[in-house]
This record gives sequence, C-alpha cells and structure tokens, in this order.
Amino acid sequence: MRGLIAVILLDLKRLWVDRVRLATSLIQPLLYLFVLGSGLGASSVMGGRGYLHYIFPGVLGLSLLFSSVFAAMLIVFDRQIGFLKAVLVAPVPRVSIALGKVLSGALQALVPATVLLLLVPVLGLGLSPLRFVELIASMWLAALTFSALGVATAARFRSTTVFPIIGNAVLLPLFFLSGALYPLDRAPPWLRALAHADPVAYAVDLMRGAVIGRYAYPPVLSICVLTAFVVVLTWLATRVFAAGDNL
Amino acid sequence: MPGPADPQDPRGDSGGPGEIAIEARSLHKRYGAVHALRGIDLVVRRGEMFALLGPNGAGKTTLFSILATLLRPSEGEARVLGHDTVRERARVRERIGIVFQEPALEGKLSVRDNLYLMGLFYRLSSRAAKARSEELLHTLGLEEVAEREAQKLSGGQKRRVELARALVASPDLLFLDEATLGLDVDARRQFWGEARRYSQRGGTVFLTTHYMDEAEPADRIALIDHGRILALDTPQALKNRIGGGVLLLATADDARAAAWLHERGFEPEVGARGVLLVVPEPAAVLPEVLAQLPVRTHRAEIHEPSLEDVFLKLTGRALEDGQAAPRVRGASGPGAAQ
Ligand SMILES: Nc1ncnc2c1ncn2[C@@H]1O[C@H](COP(=O)(O)OP(=O)(O)OP(=O)(O)O)[C@@H](O)[C@H]1O
Ligand SMILES: [Mg+2]
Repeated sequence: MRGLIAVILLDLKRLWVDRVRLATSLIQPLLYLFVLGSGLGASSVMGGRGYLHYIFPGVLGLSLLFSSVFAAMLIVFDRQIGFLKAVLVAPVPRVSIALGKVLSGALQALVPATVLLLLVPVLGLGLSPLRFVELIASMWLAALTFSALGVATAARFRSTTVFPIIGNAVLLPLFFLSGALYPLDRAPPWLRALAHADPVAYAVDLMRGAVIGRYAYPPVLSICVLTAFVVVLTWLATRVFAAGDNL
Repeated sequence: MPGPADPQDPRGDSGGPGEIAIEARSLHKRYGAVHALRGIDLVVRRGEMFALLGPNGAGKTTLFSILATLLRPSEGEARVLGHDTVRERARVRERIGIVFQEPALEGKLSVRDNLYLMGLFYRLSSRAAKARSEELLHTLGLEEVAEREAQKLSGGQKRRVELARALVASPDLLFLDEATLGLDVDARRQFWGEARRYSQRGGTVFLTTHYMDEAEPADRIALIDHGRILALDTPQALKNRIGGGVLLLATADDARAAAWLHERGFEPEVGARGVLLVVPEPAAVLPEVLAQLPVRTHRAEIHEPSLEDVFLKLTGRALEDGQAAPRVRGASGPGAAQ
C-alpha cells in the first residue's frame, strides 16, 4: 500500500512542480471547447442544444484519452533517462507499480476534464445533481480505462520516438470508432461492428448516457467491459514490470 | 531420492547473518552475439569494500546489473545477502542501495523531495522518510541545496544526492557503478570519503571503476577484462604478484626498444606511458639497459608496481586508455603468470 501511494505521490508531485505541464492541462480544455464550438456552429441541422448534449461527453472523452496517454508517455521518458530503473529496483510489488501508474495517469487526465466539467453550468447543459454525479463516476471509469491502456502500452517501450507513433496509430482509430464527435449511424456495418470492441466507445457512451439519459449500450454492460479492460490491462502492465529481464 | 529437509539446517544456506554478502557462480551473459560475461565466480564478504576494476566494455556494468537484480544472467547464478538475485529479487532489493552509472534523479523535483519520495518507495513511513532525508542531507553536506531542483545541481552534487538516495533505506549493501564518472578530483575524493564512511560503519560496498586510484582503497579488487576475472586479491597482493619492481622507459621508439629488450630475455610491455619492464631489481639492470638500448631514452623511472602495471602485465593493455593495441597472446588466457 505504501508503495502504491509512493508511485502516485511521485507522479502528482512531478505534475505539481512542472508548471508548464500543469498550465497546459488547465488551458487545454479551452482548446477542446473551441472544437466543440465549431462543431456546434456546423451542426445547426441537429439542433444546437441536442448536439451540445451529444458532443460534450465526446469532448470529455477526447480530453481524457489524450491526457492519460500523454501521462503514460512519461513512463517511456523515465525509462529512457534511466529514472524508471531507480523506481523499478525499489522493493515495491510490481502490481503496486502498475496500479499506481494507472491511478496516477487517471488522476492527471482528470485535471483538464474537471476544468471542462466546471463549464457545465456555463454551457447550460441543465444536468440534475444525480446526472452530474453519474457523469463524474463515468469519467473516473473512463479515465482509468484510458490510463490502463496507456500504461500497458508504454511499459513495453524504451524509446520516446517510437511510442508516440505507435500511440497515435492506436489512439486515432480508437477515438474515431468511438462515435465521440459524430454518430456512427451512417458508417458501414463492419465499422459499427468494430466499434463494439472499442473501449472508448463504451466509455463515451457511459458519459453520454449520464448527460442525455439514453444509452447505446446497457450501462451495466459498459461498466463490466470497462472494468474488465482496466483489470486485464493493469495485469498486463504488471507482467511487463515484473519480467525485469533488463531494467 | 528426495529426503526430508535437514533438521540441522532448517533455513538452508539462505538467510541468516552469514559471512557472505555476494556470491556469484559461473555467471555468463550474452547479448545476442556479444558474450559479455564468460564465467564469473566471486565471493564478497560482509563488511568488505570490493572493487571491480576494468577498462571500458570489460563487463563491469553487466556483472553489476546482475548482482543488483537489474539483469538476468544467461547462465549461472548469484546470491546477494543470502538470496537468489533472480528468484528472490524482491528480498535482495529490500536491502541494497544502488548508484547507477547514468544519473537517475528526477530533475524537476527538489533534492529533498527526491530523497523523501525514494524513502517512501523503500517502505519508510512518511515521518521516517522525512527524518531520514534530513539526516542524509546533513551528513552529506547537502543542506544548502536541499530545495534546489536536482537538475540544477553540479555534477558532484548530483552524485552526492544519488549516494544519499541509495542510502535512504539504510541498506546493508551498497552498489556503486562508476559512481564518480566525470567528476573532478576533489568531488571524487569527497564522494569516496562518504562511501568509505558507510563501509567503516559495517556496510558492504561493491563498486566498479576504471580508475585504479578508486580501486586502491578497496579491501579486495577483481581485475576484469573481456568478461573474465583475471585476478582477484587485495591491492597489495595483486602488486606483489607482479614480482619485483617496475622499470618504465619513455623512449624515442618504444616498439623498437621493446623488441630489443625482448631479445635480451626481458618481457617488456608497451603501454601508453612507455615501455614497462618488471624485474626483481630494477635498479640493478637500469645502468646496463640505458647504456646499451639502441634508441634514445627520454625518461627512465623506477617505481613500486601499481595496479595499472598489474593490469598491463596481465592483459598487455593499459587500463585507462583502452586504445592501446592488445598484445598478441597464446591460445590460453593470461592467467596468473607470476
Ligand atoms: N544491452 C546490451 N546489448 C548488447 N550489448 C551490450 C549491452 N550492454 C552491454 N553490451 C556489451 O557488453 C560488453 C560489456 O559491457 P558493459 O557495459 O558491461 O561494460 P563496462 O565494463 O561497464 O564498460 P564501461 O566502463 O564503458 O561502462 C560490451 O562489449 C558492450 O558493448
Ligand atoms: Mg559500465
């Protein structure tokens, strides 16, 4: 337990002292808001308020996904500069390291997402307190899933030049398949079938359901799928950290 | 026929406050085609300061990494503080501190936070980690830079912080891999002063270096080259092994001088500093050699054998510049000729 806290505390302290990164994660949501705004302008067809409800959870998903993968990127960076070695050689259970990294990545990703959330009253989404709580809970689950995805991938990489390439190659399809910014209604059936395997789709749907009250997947299914992703990916990351053939 | 466990020895040879800190048995390491370690056997006793001395690429970091649980050997096994470095690495890790060859501090965090957080990683309570960090900041003279970002320290200060970090959990065994690389003489002296203090309080130190003066204060030294230990002994015994004194001649043409000496039945070695001759009584042969040597001698010097001379004698290469051409050797290794 102490090891787990140490892993998380280390990462949060680093975020805190890295003022540039901290400022970026506070300002970045405004950028997404801009995306949101232009989306709104272009889609008067769908009706302003309706599309806002549709796209806001998508933008949350976008922000969570990219921030948590960026946080995971720091693992690769740590490995490259040799700092990860000092961490991995500490007598901390490997599962604590993996879980700590997943949790700290999720926390780091929730910083900009929370800023976005503060805009809810301004945007006039008109959420009831219950819906709001539901949204926060689903954001947490989404953040954990994306972070676990990032950590399980990053744990395997040694080079900070290769990881972003692979990262983007995985990230973009996951994101576009998720229906975060536009519905997949008109997409070919095979594409929609593929979306069933996309954790981002479940996460976005869960957040969207909290906002609009309608779900594409049964929420229980989404929660199970996402939890399974978190568990399996954390386990995979644990295995990589435990292999220890060459720290 | 597997019998019951020996009741006399319920713990086997593991655990217990044995005399042995490190034990390696026929360790091999291959990186693809590179055979970096070729059968390493060694024993380091508790409380010993043990130096692994060898040139670049000798296999020091590889051996170091295996003993410090960072790397798996291809063959053979090692035990550290009674525990297997592969199967029981968690047990080993609890009790060792490591200073890596490459820096491993979080540059953006303060020195104090670096130490404090590492304390937490070693399962100290928050309060204990704070107290221990303050203690180390004090004893290592780092109080003035405690609040500074680690990346803004001088090289020497950084290495001292790394030493402090390695000591945070009060380890029984300290691993130092070329820990003073790139430091000036003063900073090196200061660093080794601290390491020696740790050793004098009963800690075991395993260090690697390619500076012979850093190996000199060690209790025992293993000379390593091309993945093999060439000699392992106390510094004095290593020097005695060379048998006699050293005559060093800096001449206008070292190769020719060496060839001439060879004809005369000597066994010269050409190093970076000149032609090296190991003889029982250098002073007795010096006049004759000087008088008859067919090339001009710039400088002649007689000294007690240094570790450098031992290394040159064993390998035909100088220790501190790996560039010198290797001596042509017979099929067998150099062994302990003397
Ligand atoms: N990861 C690796 N992959 C392939 N070869 C390696 C690797 N690490 C080391 N080697 C090779 O193994 C040999 C021993 O390397 P090692 O780093 O142990 O030497 P060293 O004695 O520590 O040298 P130095 O004084 O330069 O640090 C060298 O030939 C090196 O090129
Ligand atoms: Mg090395």
